[in-house]
Amino acid sequence: MSKTASRRYVMVLDSRKCIDCKACVVACKAENDVPLGRFRNWINAERSGFYPRLRASFDPEQCHHCENPSCVRVCPTGASFQREDGIVEVREADCIGCKYCMVACPYNARFFNEETQVVDKCTFCAHRVDRGELPACVETCPSRVRTFGDITDPKSPVHALLEGRRYRVLKPQTGNGPQLYYLL
Amino acid sequence: MDRRLFLQMVGAGGLAATSVACPRFLSKGKAKAEPAAPMGIPTSCELCPNKCSVLAMVEKGRVHKLNPNPENPKSRGMLCARGNAAIQQVYDPDRLKQPLIRVGERGEGKWKPVSWDEAFDFAASKLKAVKEKHGPEGTLWSSTEGFQEVFFKNLGMSFGSPNILRHPSLCLASVNLAYSMTFGTVPSFDLQNAKYVIMAGANRFESIITPDTMDLIGGVMERKAKFVYLDPRFTVTASKADEWYPIRPGSDMAFILAMIQVIISEDRYDKVFVDQWTLGFDKLAEHVKPYTPEWAEAETGIPAREIRRIAREFADAGHRAVFYAGRRSSWYQNDFQMRRAQAILNTIVGNWDREGGMVPNRRVAKGEFMFLPWDDPKASRVDEVEKAFPLTSAKDGVYLPLRENVLKGRPYPVKAWMIYKQDPLHSVPDQGKTLKMMQGMDFIGVVDIAMSDTAWYADVVFPESHYLERTDPIEVMPGIWPAAVLRQQVVKPIHDTKPMLEIAQGLAKRLGLSDYFDYTIDQWIEAEAKELPVENGLEYMKKHGVVAFSEPKYGTTRNAVYRFVTKSGKIEIFSERLAEAGHDPLPAYASPVQPPQGRYRMILGRKATMTHAALANLPWLHEHTPENDLWINTDEAARMGIRTGDLVEVSSTAGTVRLKARATEEIRPDCVFMLHGFGKKSPWLRSVHNVGAADAVLLETAWDKVSGNAAMHETFVKVVKV
Amino acid sequence: MHEPVWEFLIVNYLFLGGLSAGIFFVSALCTWLQTDGQASYPRIARAGALMAPWPVALGSFLLIFDLGKWWRFWKLFATFRWESPMSIGSWLLMIFTGLTLVNAYAWLTEEERNRLFAKLPAKLPFRQKLMDFHPELAAWKRNLAMIGFPFAVGVGIYTGVLLGAVQARPFWNTNLVAQLFLFSALSSGTAALILARVLDKGEKDLAEFRFLYTLDICLILLEFFIVLPYLIHGQLSVLAVREALGLVLGGRYTFAFWGLFLVPGLLAPLAIELWEFRPVLSGKGTLHITRNLALTAAGLVIFGGYVLRYVFVFAGQASGFK
Repeated sequence: MSKTASRRYVMVLDSRKCIDCKACVVACKAENDVPLGRFRNWINAERSGFYPRLRASFDPEQCHHCENPSCVRVCPTGASFQREDGIVEVREADCIGCKYCMVACPYNARFFNEETQVVDKCTFCAHRVDRGELPACVETCPSRVRTFGDITDPKSPVHALLEGRRYRVLKPQTGNGPQLYYLL
Repeated sequence: MDRRLFLQMVGAGGLAATSVACPRFLSKGKAKAEPAAPMGIPTSCELCPNKCSVLAMVEKGRVHKLNPNPENPKSRGMLCARGNAAIQQVYDPDRLKQPLIRVGERGEGKWKPVSWDEAFDFAASKLKAVKEKHGPEGTLWSSTEGFQEVFFKNLGMSFGSPNILRHPSLCLASVNLAYSMTFGTVPSFDLQNAKYVIMAGANRFESIITPDTMDLIGGVMERKAKFVYLDPRFTVTASKADEWYPIRPGSDMAFILAMIQVIISEDRYDKVFVDQWTLGFDKLAEHVKPYTPEWAEAETGIPAREIRRIAREFADAGHRAVFYAGRRSSWYQNDFQMRRAQAILNTIVGNWDREGGMVPNRRVAKGEFMFLPWDDPKASRVDEVEKAFPLTSAKDGVYLPLRENVLKGRPYPVKAWMIYKQDPLHSVPDQGKTLKMMQGMDFIGVVDIAMSDTAWYADVVFPESHYLERTDPIEVMPGIWPAAVLRQQVVKPIHDTKPMLEIAQGLAKRLGLSDYFDYTIDQWIEAEAKELPVENGLEYMKKHGVVAFSEPKYGTTRNAVYRFVTKSGKIEIFSERLAEAGHDPLPAYASPVQPPQGRYRMILGRKATMTHAALANLPWLHEHTPENDLWINTDEAARMGIRTGDLVEVSSTAGTVRLKARATEEIRPDCVFMLHGFGKKSPWLRSVHNVGAADAVLLETAWDKVSGNAAMHETFVKVVKV
Repeated sequence: MHEPVWEFLIVNYLFLGGLSAGIFFVSALCTWLQTDGQASYPRIARAGALMAPWPVALGSFLLIFDLGKWWRFWKLFATFRWESPMSIGSWLLMIFTGLTLVNAYAWLTEEERNRLFAKLPAKLPFRQKLMDFHPELAAWKRNLAMIGFPFAVGVGIYTGVLLGAVQARPFWNTNLVAQLFLFSALSSGTAALILARVLDKGEKDLAEFRFLYTLDICLILLEFFIVLPYLIHGQLSVLAVREALGLVLGGRYTFAFWGLFLVPGLLAPLAIELWEFRPVLSGKGTLHITRNLALTAAGLVIFGGYVLRYVFVFAGQASGFK
């Protein structure tokens, strides 16, 4: 396998399989030292209907690592940046904590970390990905909701899923180009 | 699709995630040293009975993360929220850090930290005093399953007590007995290949069982298996089912019998299989005649046409159709018979030992450590299990009948209670009675990792090392994907704690039983590892944490010479042994008593983050459910003027609690529900101390007639707005 | 809805920045407008010049200390990111604040400067140099006004663009927000100068008040005719914008918007000022200034300006796409 010039990491979610078990959330907490009460990832639960005709659906969400991340655009110091592989990160040393990125994120995916005093968010576990591992949430998921990979690689499982299945992205109208793909 | 694909792509093929030290690119093309992938220490999770394989990542002597170990096919390469949160048990500031002896009144919370010697001396003198006065049978040894439970149990047995009380009668005793009585063994369900699955109350997507939960979600969502689910509550499992029926509580057996009736009357059963392998089918055909879908509709509230259709679809799916046994405590006093009905339904469609059906378990062989045996106890058990429940497992005992007897001092007094890894104040119905039983004891000793409510009421508390701090015996997990797993020490104990074996040895020394515990954990494991089906078993185990068979085997019992381990050697649809013991030889239905006007049936259930009483206190789990509340149907709540968030008083004949109400559409109007693990008395469980309410306070004493298993859905409660 | 991440400090900052911009703008206008080679309204110009630096300085000070890591604020000036409104704005604000300070210095009399320098510790080596340094700055006043105009307007616009540039918040994401904030800032600045002039014990000139009133009435009307299309156009826009406007049309911020901003903070002062201006409009007399009415009108304008920013900061964050 040669070192390819460009990679683009994305996540494909089959939320029909999500059982709201919070394994991803707790795994992320441990992996990334996320403070109590703050979350890098979460599960949106939607419940509706009247007994006995009821419905519930669960959609895991986190930073969408957008193609045109508005958080990166508005950052006054360049602390929010996008890697060449698409992962959006916050460089802690450069963040002044102005929270403009938090306001600008259509997904409310960022939070202010009181422990580090800078803005924090999902990094797709870039430190793990760089070692050839999967993000903690992907690895731990009991019901295999999540698939992570390089969309530019035709052999990647995410590639196959997005070619073979219909999907949606959240809030496409903001023009951010979100890269969490939800299978239909 | 499979996560391993990604790994193969990025790293070396097929290896464990963390052992792939092979990064394929460098960030921003800087020529810096490649970050080495850290190696995890393989061990086995202890937060629930699934024993999933994990890789503990240690940074600077501290466990930083637990990753799933993909080598164990049973745990399906995952680790749930509870497993991930285990780290917090180790570093819990409120953890038990050294032995404690009570100095105030019981439950007053005045403790004296003592040395291990003091604690051992104290406990041994108390145990000896009880033994002198009441004999060894005056001591009770209760525990929940765990890898080191064997040492605790052995201590009780070598001490001479017949009263070893294990957890099955609070758990799956009725299921196990019903399937054993039918098949001579307890099979597993091949949900990975089933095409039609019916579950009754087994909330598999919230109370996770490996590999069933993972296989079912894949089956339902990817392979289009049909999934029918019965539950009075709209659980996550209900939300994923193709069909959900909020069945009238206690009427599951009516549903099953009607299905059998349809399948037999319409000739849809597997004739060849029934003829060749079973006993008593004709009697069954006669027996179920009155159990028509129309009859069942009146009992279950599920329309007859739906029952009929489901029965047909089920039979048509044949050996790939399963009525899932479920695995949790009994619900009703007829629980055994209901499970028997399930077993029979499964039998007549011929799914026995077939792909996608009910498959007898395989085991990974392991060796046994030979220790010095002791004499059998002279006295009989205090729960009189042999007499009252002759079919059930006598060695495990029956919890609730035992408590009744001890409270009455019958047939003899029990005055000392040793408890390992169990919180009877929460895991046993009717907390008031359990407290009373504790108050009647001359001595109570508890071994635990945290100050549980039961520990709070004990006389001496022995702090056990956490699972990440100790090495345990090798555990064999039978199944379609059987495994043997090792739990090995990941970090040194951070406090003055000991594993159960050393606690047993400390007590044994003072009780004159040292000869029975004359070994180390390493010797024990070495003996076990010798017969593992791999080369250098011990070394392999330490490196991988698990030995497993990843390919299922079907049909091993479907041959001419196979004899089922039943009296007749066949699958016993009709059971003579049941008849002899005075029970129905074929499951006969009796309509359950329904709550009177103004009362609600209290039902129990779990949530993926909160299954066991000990879990609610872990901050990473607790933050998702800060408090438990009482689910009550919106209409009923409105009638009483109760709104979500209002404080309500809930009472049964056993007790009264107060907690917040949750008016919801997601429960039957005649039931209420609350989550387990809250309303703790122990202030050392700071997240849940006096937060919410404990279900055990309300639950009344009732048990399944055949197995003696606690029946948890037999309590009616009154709800009043405060 | 998630909790707001920007709170009152940002409201204060936007308000104070805008106020300074408005004060400077009016002051500069008064410097620039000349009658017979002399500034037309020198008293306004001087009052404005001396007032302008302080609100923005206070606002920036508050903002810096609201940062997660305030000591890193210099990083704002280690880079220039033209894509980030905050980066542009930080530079703008810094230059603007500097300009207002220089401008204020330029408007000090020699005596005042000496009094100021006299307060410096006697040991400072450059103290005497400063006291002896008397450049002819009067000529610079006009140049400073000219240079300052775009920065004042820039700062006024920036406070709106900071919000308006956020696509994720439909309540903000319209080109009208920048104008609205600009005119509101200018109006607040005008009102602040009306207050200053009314409260000034010295000599007063009706022409000054006529100028300020004319300006303020125009600015309030401009503001009003931005608010109006903002609401109407929003109603005709896509669902997300309609839902966002619902926050002030029946939602959580309805009272603040109508009951605190629009009626008392915009229309009431407009009415008062028009009432006072009535004789001029009808051509039947001269402007009459009632001290209390003038103070009330100016006070309400400033109050309205503050509430406007409060409503926008909070309602905007509560808006979003589904």
